[in-house]
Formats: sequence, C-alpha cells, structure tokens
Amino acid sequence: MQTTTQYPNLLILGIGNLLMGDEGVGVHLAQRLAEQPFPPGVDVLDGGTGGFHLMDYFTSYPCVLLIDATLDGRPAGAIRLLEPRFSSEFPRSMSTHDIGLRDLLEGLQVMGQMPKVYLFAVSVAELQEMHIGLSPEVEAVMPELENRVKALAEELVGMKVSAPA
Amino acid sequence: MSNRIVVDPITRIEGHLRIEADIQDGKVVDAYSSGTMVRLIERILQGRDPRDAWAFVGRVCGVCTTVHSLASCRSVEDALNIVIPPNAEIVRNLMFCAQYMHDHVVHFYHLHALDWVDVVNALQADPKATSELAQSISNWPKSSTGYFSDLQKRIKGFVESGQLGIFTNGYWGHPAYKLPPEVNLIGLAHYLEALEWQKEMVKVHAIFGGKNPHPNYLVGGMACSIGLDDVSAINAERLSYVGRLFEEGKRFVEQVYIPDLLAIASFYKDWGAIGGGLGNYLVYGDLPTNGYNDPSSFLIPSGAILNKDISQVYDVDLREDAQVQEFVSRSWYEYADGDNAGLHPWKGETKLNYTGPKPPYEHLNVEEKYSYLKTPRWKGNAMEVGPLARMLVGYARGREDFKEVVDGALAKLDVPVTALFSTLGRTAARGLETQLIANWAMDFYEQLLTNIRNGDTRMADTSKFNPERWETSAQGVGHTEAPRGALAHWCVIKDQKLENYQLVVPTTWNASPRDPEGKMSAYESSLMDNTPIADPEQPLEILRTVHSFDPCMACAVHLYDEEGKQVNRVKVL
Repeated sequence: MQTTTQYPNLLILGIGNLLMGDEGVGVHLAQRLAEQPFPPGVDVLDGGTGGFHLMDYFTSYPCVLLIDATLDGRPAGAIRLLEPRFSSEFPRSMSTHDIGLRDLLEGLQVMGQMPKVYLFAVSVAELQEMHIGLSPEVEAVMPELENRVKALAEELVGMKVSAPA
Repeated sequence: MSNRIVVDPITRIEGHLRIEADIQDGKVVDAYSSGTMVRLIERILQGRDPRDAWAFVGRVCGVCTTVHSLASCRSVEDALNIVIPPNAEIVRNLMFCAQYMHDHVVHFYHLHALDWVDVVNALQADPKATSELAQSISNWPKSSTGYFSDLQKRIKGFVESGQLGIFTNGYWGHPAYKLPPEVNLIGLAHYLEALEWQKEMVKVHAIFGGKNPHPNYLVGGMACSIGLDDVSAINAERLSYVGRLFEEGKRFVEQVYIPDLLAIASFYKDWGAIGGGLGNYLVYGDLPTNGYNDPSSFLIPSGAILNKDISQVYDVDLREDAQVQEFVSRSWYEYADGDNAGLHPWKGETKLNYTGPKPPYEHLNVEEKYSYLKTPRWKGNAMEVGPLARMLVGYARGREDFKEVVDGALAKLDVPVTALFSTLGRTAARGLETQLIANWAMDFYEQLLTNIRNGDTRMADTSKFNPERWETSAQGVGHTEAPRGALAHWCVIKDQKLENYQLVVPTTWNASPRDPEGKMSAYESSLMDNTPIADPEQPLEILRTVHSFDPCMACAVHLYDEEGKQVNRVKVL
C-alpha cells in the first residue's frame, strides 16, 4: 500500500466488545499498545463499545487507525487493511456495536468531519460463545496485527515508533 | 387472510431485534418480538470478585455505558451493607443526568426523528418560511433564512451523492409522513446540530469517570478525588467546566429539543391513540437526594400502575420472592424445575436451550420458544418500563414538578390525559423527562459545590473494601432507572466470590416474548393496539412504535449478526 500523506497526530482506536471473545480483538490490541511508549502525536484509546460516545475522538484527530472485528466470512484471523471514505464503504457486520458505529460514521460524514480512516479489519468466526479472551486463531495473528498497526502509525506521523521490548 | 411481515433487524437501535407481525385489513392483528442473539453475561460473572463486576457489565453496551456499572456497584454495596458518602451519590447523580440528557437527545434526533421527519422532503422547504417558523417556536439563535438556505444546499449534495444511508434507506415519501417541508427542514437542521452538541455532553463522564466510554465506578463510592487546587483531581477548573456543560445542555433541551418535540407532535396527534399497549407501568426509582437507602428522597419516585389507573400507585419491592420473576416458557433457555416456573433473580438460572430453526430461516416458530430474551413479570403482570412509566408514576404520585411539565405539554398540544398512553405519549414523555433532568442536574451541581466549600471532600467509604470483613454469604440487589427503563442487578456472594449474578434489563421487560399464560409483553401489546399499516412493504408505523420504546438490545441479548442487512419480507399466510 502506498501512503504519502503524513499527519501531525493520529489516534489508534481499538473498538469491540471485550465480553464477546474475538469480537473484542480491537480492545485487546488497544490495551496491549497502551502499555507501550509512543512518541508525541500518537494516542491510543480503548474505545470499547463506544458508538456515539466516540465522535469527539474522531473529530479531534486528522487521522484514525481503527481496529475492529468483522464477520465477513473469511477465515478467523485474516487481517485486511481498508481505507473507507464513506460509512457505506465500511465492511458489514463489524462487531457488536455495528449499528451505533454506523450511525456515528454517517454523522461524521454529514458534518463534513470524517477524518482519514485506516481500518484494520480482523475476521472472526461466526458464532461466538460469550467469554473473555481470544481464540487461538486470532491470538496467533496478534503480533502481526500489532506490528502492522505500529508500522503504519510510524509511517503516518513521520517518526520512529519505539521498537517493541 | 393476513400478511406476515418480518422486519429483521429493526434499524437505528443498538443490537439486534426482529419483529414478525400479521397484517389484516391495514392493521396489525398479531405481533411477535424476538431477540435473536444470545445473552450470557451472567455466566461470565460467576466466580469473579464482586468488586470487579461493574467493569465487566459496563462493557455490555455502547449506549448506556454508565447504568450497568451503577446498578452493579449498588447491588454489591447492598450485599455488603456499604453506604456511600453524599458527594459520591451526587457525582453518580450528575453522571446519571448527563447520561439521560445525552441519550434522550441522541435517541430523539438520531434514532427516532426520522420516523416522523421526512429528510428528503426538507429540500422542498422555503428557507424564509422555515426561519419565521423556527423563530416563532424558539429563541434558539441558529434560525436565519441564510442558515436554512445553506443547509438545504449541503443536504441536496448528500442526497444526490447517494452515499448516505440516512438519505437513501428511509421510507421517504411514505404517506404517513405528515410534516410540512419547513418543519422537516428544522428537524433535519437540529439532527445535525445535535450531533455536535452530544460530543460535549458526554465529557461529564470523562471528567468524573476518568475516561469515556466506559467510565470508572467504584464499590463504596466513586473513583475520582476532589481537590480544588489539585491538577490531577476534580479541581476548580474541571468543576466550572462541568457547570458550563450542564448549562449548555439545559439550553439545548429547552430551546431545541422541547420546541421541536411539540412542533412535530402537533402534526401527529392521531398517534396519541395508537400504540399504547399494556397500560401497566413499572418504575424502580432513582436520583436519591438523601442517600440510596431512602427511597422517599428519590427525585424519580418508584411505583407500579396497573390498567392505566393513575389514581393508584403500588409499592415495589425487589427483594420479595413473588414480585419480580423471570419466565422462560417461550425463551431459548431451560429451568431445572421446568420451563413454566417463574424465578426470582436471586434464584435465577441461565441455561441455554436453543430450539429455534437453523439460520437462515424464513419464520420463527412463534407457537413455541422464539426469543433469547427471558420474560420478566411483576406480581404476574406484564409491565412497560421507561420514560412514560416514570412520568406517569411521578404524575400519579402527585409530584408538582411532574404535573407542571406534563399538564403544560397536554395543554399546548390540546390533547386529553389519555393521549399519554400511546406511541406519541412515550416519545413526548422522554422529552419532558429530559427537561426535568436538566433542571435537577443544576441543583445537584450546586449541592456538590456547597459540600466542597463546606470542607466535605469524601468520595468513597472503603472500610468494607477488604473481603476479610465480609460475611461468608450475602446477597444484594441494586437498581437504577436506565434511560430506557427500570434496571436491576441481583448478586449472590459466597466465600468472597460471585455465586450468582442476574440482570433484568429494561428491554427485557419491554421486548420479551409471551409468558406461560400467553400474555404479551410491551412491544407486542403496543403493536397490537390500533397500529395502522398503510403499506406492508414499508412498515414505517411498526418502526414508530418500536422506536418509541428506545430499544437497546445490546444488554438484553448479546450479539451475533449474520449479514447486517435488513430483511423486510412480506408473506401471505
């Protein structure tokens, strides 16, 4: 993927439901990244099942790296990087707060305040028993997901993100 | 012969709700409400430290991010006999008020208004006439001809681009839309303004709860500390910011929400005789002014009303075995003692038993079990919970503040008191309640400042935080009024761990399936109450009534979404 634009600051936003197994993958990643040092300009947020409550974060950053689960029929653990410009371009059936998030994105667009969004969509299996923690399939791709998110953040803010310990 | 309509999922709600309705001669003649996703939070909580439960339950939903945490803390505090300090109670009340103001405004403009406001028709409005109309109903400053004219141009671009669901997915042009173009344009303008406004209101949660979404609570009080000169605490600057947020919030409610609500309602008075349903209302009460253990001090009084008889209000006791009970005869669960039993939540069981059709399916077998929601009953009665229940109980209890706003709105709309028992009444009650809450928030804020000035900065009682000071076994119930209605958590603690934990949430009261006697719950009953269907292909009227309850399935059921696409099927039976 080619990226040329740099941003003065950006938000790494993991969303999802921590109580729903793999659907919490975005939150799990945000919680892991929150314990690591980042240079000024990069913030990390566990957005939980935020919906409308997250709007202020979207309008406060020119660029958001969103991490969320998706039920798209691909094998569990598949990672895709998307650059949706409109709410209609977000994949269907993102995690549990699908509807709240969709309304939020539509709102941002109507307000003319949609930031540049990079979406890391992690595929999850269709049926999830309610529990906390990730399946082996998704746990196995966490290092790759973490590295890809950090590499993109590094590229976008034009500075080195601290190497993992 | 009747048509069976399936609307699945109902859009513009949190979570996944399916409605099947039979239509005959342009009216709903039978209705089934189903939560098609499973809920097992109870099992996650078993065996955990009771002091942590608030953090788990706060994750259930993206809308009410505070109410479950509040009910959970109260439930554990009740079990352990902890009384929180007055400031903690006030901070909880302020977060409660901010939650309501945010949630009710977002519900009205972003989840419900489009059932009444035809946004595409707003393009036909005359900006000058819109400006005159807006200025005749409110002093809100954004009301010039130029403002509405610019807005119209922007919206035209969106409609033509076809990129936005709100402009492409609605039933625009449906004959049940009755507003003149100018009122539609005002509604659309405020839809957009409310988006900006809501960003500010939720900051109250970040200030007192440390973060948002999912702010911090604490068993024994609140996790924030007060120090007027302390940069990391609730200091003078943050307090004054909170004051401004509530003042601005109140102004928006008074100058935008309420005038719009009354203006829109005046064109839909016929909906004052549609969608009433049960006529039974249940409120647990909230907003203590003299401690949570003194229910007589609640600004939102508790009580139950039966058969629309507001001359009598019954007292509610959540501890009594025979009052609140949950049934599973039509739900995909099984009870050890048979599925016709009713269990008080302290004895509640959560064992799944899915017997529905294998997805994807055409229809549910509504003659048997058809929902993941259990069916709660109060003394055997199906009850409606939510803003209408709260306004009616306050009104029936003779509270002057309730009477003033309710009678004022009835007079302005020139409708009888019986119009409250309806879809319109439900939607109006939500607005009137927000007006009361906005006023009370200012009082709580002043009270907090007074306490701090008097030197009281206590925010938590931690004397019983250590599990060694607990009884070997204890049980508690914590209740609140979520924006959508009565909410309570029942916990059983044994050997310092949660042995059982049961939530009975507002949408379970309202959206549940039938009980063992075949009695309908609130959604089904209200859809059966005089609901016209002009066009079965576009069941706008069903959405109006269901949305009037402000469904939030996220905590009623937990989710699983197949394709996210709306099914809207019509089949001749």
